[in-house]
Amino acid sequence: MFLLSPPALTLLVFFFVPLVIMASYTVREGTFGVASRTFSLDSFRTLTENPGFLRLLKDSMVLSLQTSFFAILLAYPVAYFLVFHAGKRRMSLLTLLIVPAWTSYLLRILAWKLILGSNGVLNYTLLNLGWIDEGVPIFLYSRTAVLITLVYVWVPFAALPIFSSLERIQRHLLEAASDLGAKPWESFLRVTLPLSFPGILAAFFFVSIPTVGEWVTPTLVGGVDGIMYGNLIQDQFSRALNWPMGALLSMVLLVIVLVAVMVFNRFVNITEVGAYG
Amino acid sequence: MRNGPLFRLGIVIVLGLTLAGCGGTTVAQNTELILLEWSGYELPEFWEPFEAQHPEIEPKYSFFAEDTEAFSKAQSGFEFDLIHPCSSYWKLYVDAGLVQPIDTSRLSNWSGVYESLASQGNFDGQQFFIPWEWGYESILVRTDLVEEVPTSWADLWDPQYAGHVAVFDSGESNFVMAASVLGIDPYAATPEQVEQVKQKLLELKPNLLTYWTDYTEINQLVAQGDVWLAGQAWNDAYAALYDEGYEVEYLNPEEGRLGWLCGFGISANSANVDLAYDYINAALDAQSMANMGNAYYYGVANADAVPLLDPYFVELMEMGDPSILNDTVFYQSLTDEQRELFATIWSEVKAGQ
Repeated sequence: MFLLSPPALTLLVFFFVPLVIMASYTVREGTFGVASRTFSLDSFRTLTENPGFLRLLKDSMVLSLQTSFFAILLAYPVAYFLVFHAGKRRMSLLTLLIVPAWTSYLLRILAWKLILGSNGVLNYTLLNLGWIDEGVPIFLYSRTAVLITLVYVWVPFAALPIFSSLERIQRHLLEAASDLGAKPWESFLRVTLPLSFPGILAAFFFVSIPTVGEWVTPTLVGGVDGIMYGNLIQDQFSRALNWPMGALLSMVLLVIVLVAVMVFNRFVNITEVGAYG
Repeated sequence: MRNGPLFRLGIVIVLGLTLAGCGGTTVAQNTELILLEWSGYELPEFWEPFEAQHPEIEPKYSFFAEDTEAFSKAQSGFEFDLIHPCSSYWKLYVDAGLVQPIDTSRLSNWSGVYESLASQGNFDGQQFFIPWEWGYESILVRTDLVEEVPTSWADLWDPQYAGHVAVFDSGESNFVMAASVLGIDPYAATPEQVEQVKQKLLELKPNLLTYWTDYTEINQLVAQGDVWLAGQAWNDAYAALYDEGYEVEYLNPEEGRLGWLCGFGISANSANVDLAYDYINAALDAQSMANMGNAYYYGVANADAVPLLDPYFVELMEMGDPSILNDTVFYQSLTDEQRELFATIWSEVKAGQ
C-alpha cells in the first residue's frame, strides 16, 4: 500500500482531479467570472444543434483508422526486414528509422508542405510529365494531405511494437513449420503473422489514439476541407475562449476512445499488448 | 538581556514588517515593470525615453500571440502592470475590472493622439486604453495571376477565384467582413441577420483554399502563387511582398478597408503605476512611435510621428492624410455576448458543409 501511494497520488492529483475539473466545465455558462460559476447546459444545446460538430468527430475517427491502417501496412515490411534479414545491423537500421522523429514535428510537416505545394517536388514532376496543366496544389490543403503527412509521421512508431513482437518469435517455430512442409508464405500466414498480432494491435493503438484528436497537421496542410475535430476543440479553448464547449467536445472524444479501448480489451488483453510497446 | 522580552518583541516586529512587505501588492513600489505584450514590440527603440528616464529598470515582458491568450492570462490572475490588447477586447477588460482609468494629463505626448482613435479607448467618459498602433485589413491581390482585379469584399465570393482565396482564421474578422458585404451592422445584427451572415460565410467555403493563421503563412501562400486573393491581409504583408518585387495590389474595397487598433492599459492591481505612465508616455513619443511605424509599416496613433515616418511608407499606406482614419471600418469593442457569438458562428461555419 505504501509503495503504491506515490504513483496513485500522482495519478489522482495530476490526472483524475484535472479531469473532474474539466468535466465540471461542461455544465458552466462561461469561461470567466460569474458565468463560470453559473450552471448551464448551453454547450450541450450547441452540440445537438450542430450536426457538423459530430460529423467532424466521425471524420476524425475515420482519418485515424486510415492513418493506423496505412502506417501499419508500411511499417510491417520494414520491421519484418529488420528482424529477419538485417542481421547484425538491425539495431543501427532501426535507429535510422527513428532518427527523423527526433527532429521537430513542425519541421517535418513543413517539409511536406514543400513537397505537396504547387511549386513542390510532386507538382513539378507531374507538370513536367504533362499530366497536369496548372501549378495548382492538388495535393496540399485537403484531407488526403493530412492523411499522407500523418502516415509518414507515424510509420516509425508503428514499426517499433511490430519489430519487438517479431523479434520475440522463436526461430525454431519457423524451422519446424518448414520441416513440416509449409511453404514460406504459409509459415508467414500461419506462424509469423498470428504471433506478431499483439505488436500490430499495439501499433494500432499507438497511432490511432493520438491521431484522433490531432489538430496541428490539419491546421498546416488541411486547408478548409481538412479541418478535424481536434481543430474544433483547439478553437474553443484558444480563440473562442469557450472552455465549456471545449471541455464538452473533449469529454465526448475521451468517452468514445475509452469505450473503443474497452471493447478491444474484451478481445485482447491490453496489458499484454502494452508489454510489446 | 539575551532573549529578554524586548528582544522577542523585536523579532515579532521584524517578522511582522517582513510579512507585511510580502503581501504588498497594493503598496506603491515602482521597482519593476511587467508587460503583457505582443512579441516584436519589446525593442528599446519603441520606448526610447523610458530607458533614459529609468536606466535602472529593465521592463519584463510576457508575450502573447493572440488577444484571447492575453485576456485569459489576465483573467486567470497573471500579475502585470501594462497590457497591450487590441480595441475589440478593450471593453471586456474594462467590464471585468482588469484595468484602471488613465489620467491623460500625466502623459505629455497625449496631445498628438488622433481624437478618433483616442475616443475608442474611452468608456463612460474615462480613458482606459491609450491607442498606440493601428493597421488595415484588406484584400491583397496577386495582380499577375488574376484575370480581373477585384474591387470589393464581395468579390471574394466570385467563382473565378475559386480555390485561390484565403481568409484570416478569425470569427470576428469574417463576421464583420461578411456582414458589411450584406449591408448588415455586425454589432447590432438580429438573429435572422446572424443566420444570413452564417449562410454567406458557408457560401464562401468552396472558394477558399485555406484559413491563414499568421503573417508568415499568408506571405508564403501569396508568394508561391497558391493564393491570389488574401483576405484580411495586414499592411506588413503587403509591404513585404511589394518590396520583394511581387506584382501585388492592396485593395481599397468599396465597403472600406477594415481597421484594427491596439493600445496600452494599466492593470487595476498594478503596484508600479508611475512607471507604467512613464512607459506609455515614452511609447507615445513621436520618435519612438515613428520607429515602430517604419519597422512594421503600421499606422501611428500620434499625429506628431507622421513627419518622422519614411515618406515611401507614408505614400504606400496613405498615412499622410488623416481622413483615411474615417474611411477605415475600425473593429468596435465587443461585449462578451458578441465575442461569443462571433466565435460560435465561426466554429459552426468551419464545421459546416
